[in-house]
Amino acid sequence: MAEAAIPGSGSAASASVRQAVPDVNAPIWRNALFVAPYLFFFLTLLVVPLFWGVWLSLHKADAFGIGRFVGLDNYFRLFRDKIFLQVIGNTFYFVLLTVPALAVIGLLLALALNRNARTAAALRAVYFASSVLSVTIVTLIWRTVFIGNFGLLATVYGWFGATAPAFLSDPKLAMIGIAIATVWWCIGLPMMLFLSALQQVPREIYEAASLDNASRWGTLWHITLPSIRRTFVLVIIIEIVLQFQLFGQAWLMTKGGPNNASKPIVLYIYEATFIKWDLGLGAAASEILFILIMIAALAQYFISRRKGEEG
Amino acid sequence: MTLTLRKYMLAAASVLALAASTPAMAATELTVQRFFGACDAEFGTNTDASKAVGECGIITSLINKFNADNPDVQVSVTTVEWPGYDQLTAQFAAGDPPDIVTIHHSVLGDYQSRGLLMPLDDLLKSVGISPSDFTDASLSGVTKDGQIYGLPIDNWTMLFHINMDLFKKAGLVNADGTPKLPTSVDELMAQAKEFKEKTGKPYFVQNLANEVALYTRNLYTYLFQQDSDFFADPKQVKLNTPEAKKVLEMYKAIYDNDYTTKDMDYAAGINAFLAGEGGVHLNGTWVIGDYNASSETAGTALNAGGYAVYPYPQLFPGKKAQYADGHSWAVSQKDRTPEEQAAIGKFLKFFNDNDFEWSRTGHLPAVKAVLDSEKFKALPHRDTIAAVATLGTPLPSAVQRQFAIQDIIGQEMNAAITGQKEIDAALTDMEARINELLANI
Repeated sequence: MAEAAIPGSGSAASASVRQAVPDVNAPIWRNALFVAPYLFFFLTLLVVPLFWGVWLSLHKADAFGIGRFVGLDNYFRLFRDKIFLQVIGNTFYFVLLTVPALAVIGLLLALALNRNARTAAALRAVYFASSVLSVTIVTLIWRTVFIGNFGLLATVYGWFGATAPAFLSDPKLAMIGIAIATVWWCIGLPMMLFLSALQQVPREIYEAASLDNASRWGTLWHITLPSIRRTFVLVIIIEIVLQFQLFGQAWLMTKGGPNNASKPIVLYIYEATFIKWDLGLGAAASEILFILIMIAALAQYFISRRKGEEG
Repeated sequence: MTLTLRKYMLAAASVLALAASTPAMAATELTVQRFFGACDAEFGTNTDASKAVGECGIITSLINKFNADNPDVQVSVTTVEWPGYDQLTAQFAAGDPPDIVTIHHSVLGDYQSRGLLMPLDDLLKSVGISPSDFTDASLSGVTKDGQIYGLPIDNWTMLFHINMDLFKKAGLVNADGTPKLPTSVDELMAQAKEFKEKTGKPYFVQNLANEVALYTRNLYTYLFQQDSDFFADPKQVKLNTPEAKKVLEMYKAIYDNDYTTKDMDYAAGINAFLAGEGGVHLNGTWVIGDYNASSETAGTALNAGGYAVYPYPQLFPGKKAQYADGHSWAVSQKDRTPEEQAAIGKFLKFFNDNDFEWSRTGHLPAVKAVLDSEKFKALPHRDTIAAVATLGTPLPSAVQRQFAIQDIIGQEMNAAITGQKEIDAALTDMEARINELLANI
């Protein structure tokens, strides 16, 4: 009886508690205030411009006013434009030139400098130093290296009576020249990411490997590289997203020339908007770039997730 | 509560008092935006324009002088990289344009057509400047739809800047000591060949890398000389023509035969000419002052045998002409106080009055009285280039986006001349791209 009474009174008590104390899982809307400042800027600076850009791309517009609605005409114009197709190719080519180079060189540098010596610390600082420079300084430095007749490269080649390759004016070399400057500039971040990953590989595994008389190559191949695989994927994703947005280096070193050979998508957008005053066309090209970057980032994300699950 | 309210009222009163007192004490502020480079290290404090050399030196000194002479007006200058129109367009779009800005005559129409510039007729009249004071070329350059939209400060064109030392070595000198210049395409090729054989250097110093303007101006000049009316319709260009092909073939032959420097950008081209790396530098009126100064300095390449400068030679049997443009000060359309209007008027008047100093750069003056003055004629080399006042021909003023067109022509010409593209294909693409641009304005 007593036993039977307890559950009954218990349920009555809990019902009265439920009435007095609100459900802890219920949404408390005033908490939204904490995220409001972020949400405000996220909406005004990212979401609204995103849709505003789509809206613009459907109009004949310049910087001083939105003209008439033209539907998808700007997109049709883009895909009829040989130069737009060329700049898409250029951008992919640039990503292909820089991203693997950044990942591999960054990894090699990290492997070489991952030790507790004073020289290694100094060299880490040296290799990272270029990353703190602005794009203007970087391109200034590389223009002085590449420029014909008076440049550093021309001078060095001149000592041997040879002509230096024209990295700024040969259509086959212009993008490579920009890629060299970019790798030099951006190498610091991948190197640092790899260094931090290397330092998190547990020492015990290396100790076990050395007890097993594993060779240095074997240790690298079977222990080090598998342990930092996730960082490798991270570096690739970050760099793909960054390098797709190439602009400053191309604008300042070659202005996209010769004959558009080194013009990336962002430079095309810039020219359409600010030089031709064709804001609608520029907005349409921006949407294409947005989709391209999203596809690349998503592809990388899914590939890395699958590998993560296998591991 | 009362105490807080009183505090607020006091604070508000102080803010009001400060705000009210500031305009009365400070000078009228004008924002001026210009290209022509930065040279504050050399001329940042100079107020005597007659002591300055070159575009940058002279304009910096003139604005310094204006500030010194007019304590009631404070001009703050923003220097932009040439030509600065991308930035200006963005500033206009953001509603924050400078008050006064340098704009080429060829570009005024772009901004004027969108109602972004202030018509200056009344303002110029109020400070005593009459349109009839300007040369015909300058007046027509700044007049759009019957109104004046910029204070013209000069007209400029491209020229043959000549290293006489190398010309003498090449035997390309007339009996009177003047350089022997070609009168036809064949003669140009023959002289360039002779020049290269005798001096071991290219006839031309050209900035062909990272460049569009030089190509475009060369094309326009030699199209004019063949009477090609390529912009008969300002909304549709005709460039896929035998005349344009002739010009591209000529420049391609010059390139293929190594009669020109290659892979140089603008700055490298100037350095190469000053170092005596070639005979003829194709550059504008604006370097005459600097090159003349170099030729007067012992030990320089131009001092060795002298420096001469001439209009482009007439290579074709058509109209005697060469491409020309000009610079002007334009005023943005904004609501302004009478004080600000007056300050702008003062600034424009000052530049109009000092047009002679500006013409020392090498540009042709915009003011008729200066062009006709003995003082101007006595400046070095003005006798040999005086002809450009009549030769100078701009594009029809109704042609819009002339700088965007220049980019397209420059890119396609570069591709054709350096052999990346067939000449016919380059001309077809050039025409199609420009017409696509013009059709979508």
